[in-house]
Amino acid sequence: MTVWQTKWAPTPRELAACVECGLCLPHCPTFRLTGDETASPRGRLNAMSAVAAGTLPLDSAFAEVMEFCLQCRACEAACPSLVRFGRVMEGARAEVAAAFPREGRLGRRVAGHWLESPRAVGVATFGAALAQRIGGRHWFPRRLRVGLTGLRRLPLRRRSIRGRDVGAGSDPVATVGLLAGCVMDPWFAAVHEETIGVLVSAGYRVVVPDDQTCCGALAAHDGAADDAARLAATNVQAFAGVDLVVANAAGCSAHLAGYGHVVEAGTELASRAIDATVLVARAIGAGRLPQLPSNGRRAAIQDPCHLRHAQRVVDEPRSILRAAGFEVVEIDPDGLCCGAAGTYSVVRPDTSFELGERKAAQVRAAAVDLVASANPGCEIQLRAHLGSGVRVAHPIEIYAEALHSARDHDLAGSG
Amino acid sequence: MPAAANLVEDLRRALGAEGVRAEPLDQRLFSKDAGVTRGEVVAVTFPRNAVQVSQVVLIAARHGYPIVARGAGTGLAGGAVPSQPAVLIVTTRMDDVVVDEANRTAWVGPGVINLDLSRRTASLGLHFAPDPSSQAACTLGGNVACNSGGPHCLAEGSTVNHVLAVEFVDARGQILTVGGTAPDPAGLDVRSVVVGSEGTLGVVTRILVKLTPNPPAVKTMLLAFSKVSDAAATVSEVIASGIVPAALEMMDQPMVRAVENFVHADLPVAAAAVLLAEVNGHVAAVDAEADVIISVGRRHGATEVRLAADERERLLMWKARKSAFGAIAQIAPDYYLHDTVIPRNRLVEALEEIYAIARRKDLLVMNVIHAGDGNLHPQLVFDGSVPGQLEIVKSAAVEIVEMSIRLGGTLSGEHGIGLEKRDLMSLVFSAVDLDAQARLREAFDQDHRFNPGTVLPAGSRCFDFGRSVAEGAWV
Ligand SMILES: Cc1cc2nc3c(=O)[nH]c(=O)nc-3n(C[C@H](O)[C@H](O)[C@H](O)COP(=O)(O)OP(=O)(O)OC[C@H]3O[C@@H](n4cnc5c(N)ncnc54)[C@H](O)[C@@H]3O)c2cc1C
Ligand code: SF4
Ligand code: SF4
Repeated sequence: MTVWQTKWAPTPRELAACVECGLCLPHCPTFRLTGDETASPRGRLNAMSAVAAGTLPLDSAFAEVMEFCLQCRACEAACPSLVRFGRVMEGARAEVAAAFPREGRLGRRVAGHWLESPRAVGVATFGAALAQRIGGRHWFPRRLRVGLTGLRRLPLRRRSIRGRDVGAGSDPVATVGLLAGCVMDPWFAAVHEETIGVLVSAGYRVVVPDDQTCCGALAAHDGAADDAARLAATNVQAFAGVDLVVANAAGCSAHLAGYGHVVEAGTELASRAIDATVLVARAIGAGRLPQLPSNGRRAAIQDPCHLRHAQRVVDEPRSILRAAGFEVVEIDPDGLCCGAAGTYSVVRPDTSFELGERKAAQVRAAAVDLVASANPGCEIQLRAHLGSGVRVAHPIEIYAEALHSARDHDLAGSG
Repeated sequence: MPAAANLVEDLRRALGAEGVRAEPLDQRLFSKDAGVTRGEVVAVTFPRNAVQVSQVVLIAARHGYPIVARGAGTGLAGGAVPSQPAVLIVTTRMDDVVVDEANRTAWVGPGVINLDLSRRTASLGLHFAPDPSSQAACTLGGNVACNSGGPHCLAEGSTVNHVLAVEFVDARGQILTVGGTAPDPAGLDVRSVVVGSEGTLGVVTRILVKLTPNPPAVKTMLLAFSKVSDAAATVSEVIASGIVPAALEMMDQPMVRAVENFVHADLPVAAAAVLLAEVNGHVAAVDAEADVIISVGRRHGATEVRLAADERERLLMWKARKSAFGAIAQIAPDYYLHDTVIPRNRLVEALEEIYAIARRKDLLVMNVIHAGDGNLHPQLVFDGSVPGQLEIVKSAAVEIVEMSIRLGGTLSGEHGIGLEKRDLMSLVFSAVDLDAQARLREAFDQDHRFNPGTVLPAGSRCFDFGRSVAEGAWV
């Protein structure tokens, strides 16, 4: 007999992996904010175990404990017992969604259905682009305003990188399939363009399959596990023909790397999934992309949780910045979440705001005018909290710009 | 059990709604620490200062509930677990740090995390020396309560050597400060009584700690051995040579393998035992001492010697060591950990006996040892959901304690007694010893309001009213 209703529920084995040592606690942003065991990874796992055992009910108190979690997976990286916290929490969120189908329905609808529709995202983008131009930010509810403040300037007309196929001519090292992403495509077009350019320079053929869809990370985090599985299945098909599946948003690459937990056929795709920063850093290491001389400037690095904690990718974005000529400045030894956390900033604006302010203070203390982040959510959050004094950009974008100006310089020199 | 409504109301009035939790979910999640025992919590409070702690103590007394202090709940002996329904005082929100750089001291709240303190003082070239393996998570209040040690306590001593003064709230709600800036306070040294009292004398609300200058040079090395006895012999000879390494730690093969799965430090997983040694001090001395350790190791057949090339590799080696307890669940969902001490020169014998006990009980045992001071941490791994397993494990644990005492050692090196080792106290202390401890405790907390049932077994106060209880009656 069990209270769980879905096939996504945390399994007894997954929960038993926690020995309750508490070593994860200081790595958890919500525990750091509250000092409260019920807002800690160990507490959350214990709550799941207690519900599984029937000791506690699956009630609104349980839902609250699960929904307060940022799903940053810092605890997972800190856990010597190798508890798969991210997966377990997605399971718990699916259970909460099943037990309380009415609450949070809008969020799940957005994550599970709207994001996969370029048209729906396009309409939202148009609205936001208009608001940017006529200054109508205050028309939007407060919880959306931080996001709007942090967005790059959006295009009024929809454009997409889908369908591209570049670099096939020159005996490519490998064919990479680039994930266009739900919001990356319309909102971060420049990052996509530079990623494609840099990967082609590194010797890759880059294709952007037309029939791909949103990776499903946000759906999975919000408890819409069945939708996440459907989206993943579409992508498994769409990316069947490429050697590597690349995403330049950490949240997406982390989710692709975990596809094995999402759909049965996902394990194989997961083995080919890689974050764009890793691929670029490797190409630099292998000499397929140049190491540029120092430019005497300092840049701070902000580690997206789903890069640092979920994928343990730490060195790669740093080596990209160094290759771009920058001195890298560390801002946070723990890589505590910036509070963006997917839809969290909208669902729980207060916690998100507090974490955003902390992160911004760390960047300001580093006294830099550039901070690199390899995830769109973090970028928006950082920009919103930092204001206009500090530029926020993707590490590959920064590297690409350095490459361009080195080339211009060369051309000028030789011409 | 639903909390008595007016208890919660009174607590809320004192601390605000934010500072009190008493729903079933809160009661459940706070009912255990990192050990294996579960207790019953009535209400959880988060006071922000000594005055609020005092209010909670008085309110709890009025409602007839005992008090249990809790830091991060990384204790391994059930110290923060109530033995009867209690009000919990969680110290995590008392986390102020005021550093006195000139005097190399700091007043810290009990909720400050051990490693956070050293990080905050790093820019001054200072750190807090006691470094339990849980240092990234455990609080200074917990360290003081348990007189915690760590790998570096071999050279630096345990928490009590680094605490100058303690402010605490006693059973009457009074705020007292014991000790002072002088290393040897005038009058009775009550500070050293409070350190290590496991929350039975009062709730610690502020601590004046000594900060230690960071050493100018450090060398850290791993030595692998194909026989446990070779590693143990190396430990004995290093100590006999007169050097006091900053740390000298040992892990056996099952432990090294579990840890390697997590840290990916390319540890020597084929070795029967691995030693982790660190020396620090002035550059020349450090080089000389490292050479001694390496040559002693080689003489005893070290199959591999690896010197940390840089700070990153050094930290990775320590991460491996400090992950040891947590890494166990990869093998089985539960572990029961002992903390006995044996004379250093009996290490080989002790380990052989531990392996034999585990074999007899058909249990897997993994060892991580503060080898330099003979502090054993045998961990019996098991699956608590299998009926009867916990009992078998506990019986094996008793045998390990008995063996350690037989070899001339003792019950606990650093983790404290708590609930879990309480009933073994009589193995090391006579009735008269225990009575003295009980009397001392009652001088501060006559009615056992703080952590009742912890540390001292029931009946310790055997000379009550001149009545003597037969020795062994409470064993
Ligand atoms: C992975 C791991 C490794 C460990 N390694 C070591 C080690 O190397 N060395 C070592 O000594 N220990 C070690 N421990 C044990 C534990 O971490 C220490 O005992 C630590 O000091 C406990 O701190 P805490 O904040 O978690 O206290 P808790 O577990 O919350 O409490 C421990 C005890 O202290 C009391 N207490 C806490 N705060 C106060 C206060 N303010 N006033 C009065 N009493 C208080 C509690 O009532 C309880 O009795 C380890 C534990 C784990 C899980
Ligand atoms: S670190 Fe891992 S095993 Fe330890 S409490 Fe956290 S989740 Fe559980
Ligand atoms: S995922 Fe992040 S917020 Fe959630 S429990 Fe882990 S560390 Fe805490």
